Amino acid sequence: MTDLWGKIEPLLARVERPSRYVDHEWNAVANSAADYRVALMYPDTYEVGMANQALQILAERVRALDGCAVERVYVPWPDMASAMRAADVPLFTLESCMPLAECDLIGITLAYELTYTNICEALDLARIPLHAERRRDTDPLVIGGGPCAHNPEPVAPFFDAILIGDGEEALPEIVAAHRAARIGGLNRAELLRSLAGIEGVYVPALYAPDESGALVARGGAPARVRRRILRDLDSMRSPVCPVVPYADVVHDRVTIEVLRGCSRGCRFCQAGMVYRPVRERRADSVVRDALASLACTGYEEVSLTSLSTADHSQLEDILRRLSRRLEGTAVAVSVPSLRVDSFTLAIARLLGEGRKSGLTFAPEAGSQRLRDAINKNITEEELLTTVRSAFEAGWRRVKLYFMIGLPTETDEDVAAIGALVARVHAAARESTPPPERGGIRIGVSVSTFVPKAHTPFQWEGQIPPSEVKRRQHILREAMPHRGVDLSWHDADVSFLEAVLARGDRSVAAAIEAAWGEGAVFDAWTEHFSLARWRVAFERTGLDPEQRASEPFAFDTPLPWAHIDSGISESFLRAESDLARKGVTTPDCTFDACTGCGVCGACDADVVVQAEGGRRG
Amino acid sequence: MAEGFRLRVRFQKVGRLRYLSHLELIRACERAVRRSGLPYAVSQGFTPRMRASFGPALPVGTAGEREYLDLLLTRFIPVDEALAALSRASAPDLSSRQCGYVSSKEPSLAAALTIATYDVRMERRAPQEEVEQAVRLLLDTGTMRVEHKGKPKVFDLSQTLPKEPEIVSDADATTIRMAVRMGDAGSLRPDAFVGAALGLNIRTLVTRTGLFSEDAEGWHEPL
Repeated sequence: MTDLWGKIEPLLARVERPSRYVDHEWNAVANSAADYRVALMYPDTYEVGMANQALQILAERVRALDGCAVERVYVPWPDMASAMRAADVPLFTLESCMPLAECDLIGITLAYELTYTNICEALDLARIPLHAERRRDTDPLVIGGGPCAHNPEPVAPFFDAILIGDGEEALPEIVAAHRAARIGGLNRAELLRSLAGIEGVYVPALYAPDESGALVARGGAPARVRRRILRDLDSMRSPVCPVVPYADVVHDRVTIEVLRGCSRGCRFCQAGMVYRPVRERRADSVVRDALASLACTGYEEVSLTSLSTADHSQLEDILRRLSRRLEGTAVAVSVPSLRVDSFTLAIARLLGEGRKSGLTFAPEAGSQRLRDAINKNITEEELLTTVRSAFEAGWRRVKLYFMIGLPTETDEDVAAIGALVARVHAAARESTPPPERGGIRIGVSVSTFVPKAHTPFQWEGQIPPSEVKRRQHILREAMPHRGVDLSWHDADVSFLEAVLARGDRSVAAAIEAAWGEGAVFDAWTEHFSLARWRVAFERTGLDPEQRASEPFAFDTPLPWAHIDSGISESFLRAESDLARKGVTTPDCTFDACTGCGVCGACDADVVVQAEGGRRG
Repeated sequence: MAEGFRLRVRFQKVGRLRYLSHLELIRACERAVRRSGLPYAVSQGFTPRMRASFGPALPVGTAGEREYLDLLLTRFIPVDEALAALSRASAPDLSSRQCGYVSSKEPSLAAALTIATYDVRMERRAPQEEVEQAVRLLLDTGTMRVEHKGKPKVFDLSQTLPKEPEIVSDADATTIRMAVRMGDAGSLRPDAFVGAALGLNIRTLVTRTGLFSEDAEGWHEPL
């Protein structure tokens, strides 16, 4: 393999943040003896990509395979990309500093729609044909996966295969199939057919549209690709020795996944549908892996991550044991956004013992009517009680997430967000001693609803950007100013997210054209330009307004109809009806089965660790 | 620093890790301390932190062969043990080389260290006499103006350069060895000096080779 360091180092004096490109971090392992190399790419900068837990998990799985090495790859910032093009240096991996094109398999995580142009940029810098159909037998296998894979069509032409669902078991199977294909002398087409036989693997080349527009399988590929599910999450250790970056990356801490899946059933939430069923890890495993990982990394914080950490049936036990073991070390234990109905005073106290990190709650909507329509299943009183607990336990800031543009939303619902924030602020004041009240901050972050595949709202359209701006104005007017930091997502960004999230295969041409117009790092405010995308849409004949805002009819095939998340369509339709009626659906980990269908379809089960189950 | 055992650590920042920024270096060293298992002291307050302090910052791209940090320990650990623990927990390019306890009454590293020595290595071998002449010419002007973040700064060279720069060449490249006195008003970057003497487009690799405090008797290494 080629070592490119001698060509890269001379470029570093002239680029921003050179530590992104130098490797040699703690726990980074270059394995020169391997005969099979898997490059794992997050299609954004090093600082964003290093935070990705899925890639850390997959790296561990690949490293455990005989003769396999893992290489990390991120997308160079435009200054570095220009320097590389000028110096004729191809995209390189970090561990071995080798050309990406010399790897055997490239796994690209599809975590966010606005990274799609970066995939074009990375493959171009790597000198790998962007279109899977143009790749030769000697080119690496390019595999996608991650949350956005649940609607793979907008990027389908760029991938040889896309994994739907959990990768812990599937990625080693893909590697094994690729190695076997080499030994057996299979050509690329034969290799792709063999990959299509792996549970959860979608090979776009084997699906073509019929006259109705629905994608039809050929070459023995399954008619619908069923999502892959890791049945026993607790059988896998959390990555204990991840690479510790030097650069200031986002989420720079130990992350321990305490559970996967969430069945609270929020009707807008894709993750809440496509990661079912809920699978908790045992408290013993969580504590063991957290302490081992802190020792191996030297991090100053450990985060207990999941879609809904406070729902873990043993969370108090986990926090008690961690806080005892970490006493006096200034190491903080943190949790991502919390459900207000499972956040207890005990949890508040336990989290507050070490260094206090932020507390985040997501009421999502301002009025009870709308919270019921989206099945958020929390009441205002629960939110206020929780805020009081947090401020009594010593917190002085909380962050609240809301969404506008949800189906059935009225102007009154938008204004209700401001009123709710005002009551939260008042509750915070009441629970704070007068001399400390000046320090109270309520962070309010408001995003715009983007309809997502495999959710009860998957048929909905997005409200147009002009309407988003009008509602943002209502929100601003209704929001109290004192002690409140309000931020909202750019309407144009949310619009582009909707075009891409609801896209079919024709959108791929627009992505490629936008990249051709210079679109990269669309997720970065300083690089985002809807104008470039508009040129691309025009050139490729795509109507973005229609794509983003026109509802899908129940009787036409959805762009993701060939992807089977395990959730039955009749459940999603019933949920969509209940939303219109404002009727809520409980969580099956606290109440009875709600009939979403995933356990039967995927031969999986809810796993709750505490003997008495979860307490609602 | 008080109440506890003030361990001074000499370490290096070399190889590829010369590209770390000062903040990245601090974070990396603190994480190495946590991995080492040494009983580090923690500050009081809302966001408790490890009690460690560092010598003068190195710019991104500049290596350091003899850099220092002070770490407050809650228990006495024999220096060999402390050094072994830190070495095990550090990347080779950022490894600890020497440890020793210093009195809590001594001034901080940032305050005590006023002299830095540098090797500025040019990309290739240059004729000895030409380089000497160019350096001489600049020294004879007596002052040097530098723009820093849009603000002009004037350095009195006789004050800033306590020693005459030395020019040495090996088979591949010419190196200018110089000592710079660091002041409250900022320090002269050695590559800026070499650039001003020899032309601004010259590419150099800079290594800080030593850090010293100074008094009437001369220069002293902190360990």
